[in-house]
Amino acid sequence: MVFASIACSILGVIISRMNLSSIGFTMSHAAFAGAAIGMFLEINPQMTAIFFSVAVAALIGPVSDKAKMAADATLGVLFAMSMAVAIFLVSYMQYSGRGLSAGSLLFGNVISLYREDIYALAAVSALTIIFVLTFYKEITSIMFNMKIAEASGVRVKLIYYILLFIVAISVSLTLNIVGGLLIFVLLVTPASIASQFCFNVRSMFIAAPLVALSISAFGVWAGFEYTLPIAPLVALLLTSVFGVSVLVSFKRRINYKKY
Amino acid sequence: MSIIELEGIYTAYEGGDKPVIRGLSLSVNPGEYVVIGGPNSAGKTTLLESINGLVRITHGTASVCGLDLRRYGNEVRRKVGYVIQNFYFDPFTPFTVEEVVMMGRYGKMGLLNRPTRSDREAATEAIRLLGIEDLASKTIGTLSGGQQQKTMIAHNIAKEPEVLMLDEPFSNLDFNAREYLQGVFKSVAKKGTPVLLVSHAFDGLPDIRIHLVVMNKGRITYDGVCDAGEVESIIRKESGGGLRSSSF
Repeated sequence: MVFASIACSILGVIISRMNLSSIGFTMSHAAFAGAAIGMFLEINPQMTAIFFSVAVAALIGPVSDKAKMAADATLGVLFAMSMAVAIFLVSYMQYSGRGLSAGSLLFGNVISLYREDIYALAAVSALTIIFVLTFYKEITSIMFNMKIAEASGVRVKLIYYILLFIVAISVSLTLNIVGGLLIFVLLVTPASIASQFCFNVRSMFIAAPLVALSISAFGVWAGFEYTLPIAPLVALLLTSVFGVSVLVSFKRRINYKKY
Repeated sequence: MSIIELEGIYTAYEGGDKPVIRGLSLSVNPGEYVVIGGPNSAGKTTLLESINGLVRITHGTASVCGLDLRRYGNEVRRKVGYVIQNFYFDPFTPFTVEEVVMMGRYGKMGLLNRPTRSDREAATEAIRLLGIEDLASKTIGTLSGGQQQKTMIAHNIAKEPEVLMLDEPFSNLDFNAREYLQGVFKSVAKKGTPVLLVSHAFDGLPDIRIHLVVMNKGRITYDGVCDAGEVESIIRKESGGGLRSSSF
């Protein structure tokens, strides 16, 4: 959960600024569909989740470019396709008596992780941090304005495609823990909370993972202590904190003195 | 030797049923102050975006800063400063003026390179030149339209471009600011960097010889040198017998 929080919340800062928040549910449902394909074919669902997510991620940029559509619209199309594939397979397996429950894919299972899963998540967190540190100036430039970045000679497409790839990998590995539906919360909500208080992007990159980490840790503790489902609990906690932060944010306050 | 050399270029947007620019030829030398005028939809913005490689040239030859534009678009963009026409930054945009100005150099620096002392000095100098030192630590979304405009000009000047192109840079500015900026552009041109200016406001043009280009329906209808005072009358004349009120 720690590694998932770090990776998703850092990526969330980038995608929410780029108005690509829907990449969260598209990729999470692509991972969901990939995992369903794995279960249907009786092969490792995590591998198929990664494969299918990367394939979908690889389509977003070129399809948007070719169709001259906003990436958000392409994400909507791919989301619907992924969801349809997943529901089709899950329903088919249920009808045919293979008894697949979508519950573990939708809501995740924090307590039944293998050591390899944890190593993979640590690697994804490290990859995300290295990506942001290495391409910090290009990423911030794109976050500011894609057209202006391109006009300045920044390699916008290269960075954009790497970003999609890393989101795909992170989401598909995180699927096991928080589940397809709730990854979206980790991608979007910590960044949204940070945006209520941070005036510059550097502090957002620090605040978002700290928020995600502390709330996730608290959620895991409370889940064990009071025998509650951890992933939905963390999602509800993050959403509550977001609600409170909107109410108390000082960024929208008018700070002038009457002389 | 010309720094921009366009020969019979055509450009078209995907899905468009006719080219936006048709058989256009233009030559710009170092240090020239080029004013591009003409009615709306004449192709002025498309011309700037073609020179910057943002719009694909379908036919003809184009060389900018000694590079074949059709092959080295990104390399050209690293050398050319381009202030785009329309931008809006919401109040929550988490970037300060200082950061935005520095971003102007990011393409030039190349991948993986960090800003050096000379990059920081160039950004500071651009901020000073535009007179926005007191705004440096403010977030860009909290500024007025005119202040954002100045920030974006500083963003491009910090780049130390080999060509500076500006699309309607005076749209949010009062007369004093326009006159001040014309002085800034004149000093840029004096140092040998050609300035290409698309504008509908000709007051305060610097008192130097102007390379005037008038466009209409994707073609150049006038390409010559004149005094600042003649610019508006030539544009009116060359834009097809008087401009419609919507054009200015």
